[in-house]
Amino acid sequence: MREIRTLIVDDSSVMRKIVERSLRQAGLDLLVVHEAASGTEGLDLLKAKEVDLILSDINMPSMDGLEFLRQIRDQKLAPGVPVVMITTESSEEHVKQAIQAGAQGYIRKPFTAEQVKERVLPLVHAA
Amino acid sequence: MLGMKSAVRALQEVENERESTMAVSLRESVQLVSDPRNLDASVEEVFRLMLGLNCRRDSGPADCEPESVTAVVGFGGLLSGACVFRSGTNAALKIAGHMTGMVFEEVDDTVKDGIGEICNMLAGAWKGKVPQLAANCGLSVPAVITGRDYQLHVQAPEFQLHHIYRSEDTSFEVTIVCDGLQ
Repeated sequence: MREIRTLIVDDSSVMRKIVERSLRQAGLDLLVVHEAASGTEGLDLLKAKEVDLILSDINMPSMDGLEFLRQIRDQKLAPGVPVVMITTESSEEHVKQAIQAGAQGYIRKPFTAEQVKERVLPLVHAA
Repeated sequence: MLGMKSAVRALQEVENERESTMAVSLRESVQLVSDPRNLDASVEEVFRLMLGLNCRRDSGPADCEPESVTAVVGFGGLLSGACVFRSGTNAALKIAGHMTGMVFEEVDDTVKDGIGEICNMLAGAWKGKVPQLAANCGLSVPAVITGRDYQLHVQAPEFQLHHIYRSEDTSFEVTIVCDGLQ
């Protein structure tokens, strides 16, 4: 078993904790969590630390999750690291934009730990 | 790779849904948008999945507490308006406690954050019930108001849903106000 270094980006500290709890419930016990409250903070963190998994909200002030995703790719940060968007937005346009920007997974809030397990674990194991 | 497959599958499902409904404009489907069952289903879904609580719509008045917590998430785009969540302080503390697994004795930033996020998910779940809304209506980040003796007033809304719900020993109100439909 290896540690899964995870970056959780959400402007809500409560949601960051819930996402972390869901990851642990999904079976990722060896979790090292880094938290960021915005896309800008997330980018700064990625410049300083290596991660194995990124989970990001979309609807955030200052830099939203889609721009964060584009910046990760443009700045060639975290190459090969899977990104999963966790958001209240479930429209075709948002899913399409997230995929185009490089997301490998999409989870709609509200979610269950089981959904997190189904969408995230295969990405972690494949990485 | 599996994640990409599921994302593509999700996209296809959304596209199929859109094709079956794109002939209807939002103004023509105002009855669907204002269907009170959509709000009930959204509240039930958010509370069951995120808090592990069952809740039911109640015909009586909400519990009266001197101070309350109100979260507002704005809608913009095809529909303009807001989703408003309001509860008494004690109810807000309990709801935030269920969300986080923590015990709160006062409405601190974490409680406000949690209540704002509940409202955000309610707004997202509600608009997600109508495909045209999901695709063409954006959400603001939540604003949270605390205090006493305040009222929410919207001049001549297009429609308004105001429901009271009860979960365990707490009650809360959820309001959808639509002040414009395109």
